[in-house]
Parts: sequence; structure tokens; C-alpha cells
Amino acid sequence: MLEFLSWLEGSALAGFLRGLGIWTYGLLNLGHILGIASLFGAVLLLDLRLIGSWSSIPATQLIRPCVPVAAAGFLLAALSGLMMVTFNASEYHGNPFFYLKFPLIVAGLINVAVIQRLTAWRRAAQGQPLVSADRRVLAVFGAVSLLLWTGVIACGRMIGYW
Amino acid sequence: MKLSIPAVLLALVLATLASPGSAHHGWSGNSAGDVEVTGTVVTEVRLAGAHGTMQIEDADGNVWDVTLAPGPRTHRSGLREDVIPVGAEVTVFGERNADPAVFEAKVRRVIWGDQTFDVYPPE
Repeated sequence: MLEFLSWLEGSALAGFLRGLGIWTYGLLNLGHILGIASLFGAVLLLDLRLIGSWSSIPATQLIRPCVPVAAAGFLLAALSGLMMVTFNASEYHGNPFFYLKFPLIVAGLINVAVIQRLTAWRRAAQGQPLVSADRRVLAVFGAVSLLLWTGVIACGRMIGYW
Repeated sequence: MKLSIPAVLLALVLATLASPGSAHHGWSGNSAGDVEVTGTVVTEVRLAGAHGTMQIEDADGNVWDVTLAPGPRTHRSGLREDVIPVGAEVTVFGERNADPAVFEAKVRRVIWGDQTFDVYPPE
């Protein structure tokens, strides 16, 4: 892992970013926050709906805006985050929050991939009537999603305090 | 009052996000007290990244990683990348890394000749 981080730190991308000026890191940090805000804002609304809030709003009406906003936010956060890491990559070696964060991200993405293959999700996304078993399974996946992304953000924030 | 599951989850989320905010970012690992180091510059000031950095070698041959303020703030103190050349003798004042085996310090002030750079000015 240290080898990989050292390689990242010495990569052409890292050299390019370091040469862009003293505000580069701060602007990447800004992009990271905007990405997180978009991702987590959309995730929070959608997951709370899946858990059972605002049951008068059809799930499909939240799925339509929330999924693309979350995806775009994730992409922005991932790209800006990767670029921020390159600046001092080897310094993160041994940081438990850093090493916990990435498995949590993978788990969050697996949760996304699985839920989108569920019959219950397809029914919800297409606005078809749900049976109570559908609601239960969507509530479980929504709760897991909320916990995972909260964990990712908590780890990310704590990296700098380790 | 009836507490719904979403409300409890939301409260947990907010509590997590609101947790330790008191420590200044990055200083928690530098609690070994004040340190003053005089040495020669082996790696000149770099302002890319979360903080500015430089490396100096003291009289005992230890190479210190000097952590400065974030790039724009260090730059504003007058300590730009091309100011102090490699080989120059400087004295830095700051807080040493809590790990005594690590030669690293978060630095508030850098003195080079008759020039003083207060990257974190004294209050």
C-alpha cells in the first residue's frame, strides 16, 4: 500500500497539480465539498423516503432527481478526492480513517448496485404499486445506505485529525 | 412525542457530523511542546498541498520536515517558494511532532538572516 501511495505521490498527475499554483489544493477541497453535499443531500432525501418518511410522495418522484444528483456528486467527490490525495499520498499511510474510508465507499457502491437490481426498486422507480415486503426491503437498503455514506464522510473528516 | 425511525437516524447522522470540531486541523499530532530548530535548507519551500512544507538539516544531521501554514497563507506572510535558497541557514519556531522519533514540526515563524516570516502571527 505504501508503495502504491508513494507511486501516486510521484505520478505525473501529482506533479501537474502541484505546478498549478497555491490555490489548487483549496479549490480541489471546494470541489470535494460540493461533491459530498450533492451526493449526501440526494442520498439523505432518498434514503429517508425509502425508510418510510413522506410516504405520500411517490418514491419514483424522488428517485428521478436524487439518483443522477447523487451520481454526479459522487463523481465530483471521487475525482477531487483522488487529486487531493496525490499531493502527499504517502502521508496517509497508517491513517486508520483513510484505510477504513475506501472499503466503506466500495460497500456503498455495492449497496447501490444491488438495490437497483431488486424487483422492489424497479417497481418503485417505475411508479408501480408496492407490496409491504417491497417497502421492508427498500427500507433496509435505505438504512444501510445512509449508515455507509455517513461512515464514509465521518472517516473522510477524521483523516485530517489523526 | 412519537419518535420515528427516520428522525432517530437523522439525529444520529447530525450528531456524527457535528462531533470533534474543537481541535485546530492538524495540530493535534504536534503536542510535544515548543521547539526551536536552526539548520540549513535541504528542500526549499513548497506551497502545493494542504500545507506549505520545507526541510532543514540541524547541526546533528537530523533532517526536519517543517510544516507551514496552508499555501495561500504562507505565501501572504512573504514566504514564497523562491525566497529562501537551498543551503541557507534558517531558524524555525513551532510545535514538535508528538512522536519523539519523528523530526517534524508545525512552524509558526521562520527567520532567515534579517527577515522574519510569521506564517501564524503571534496573537
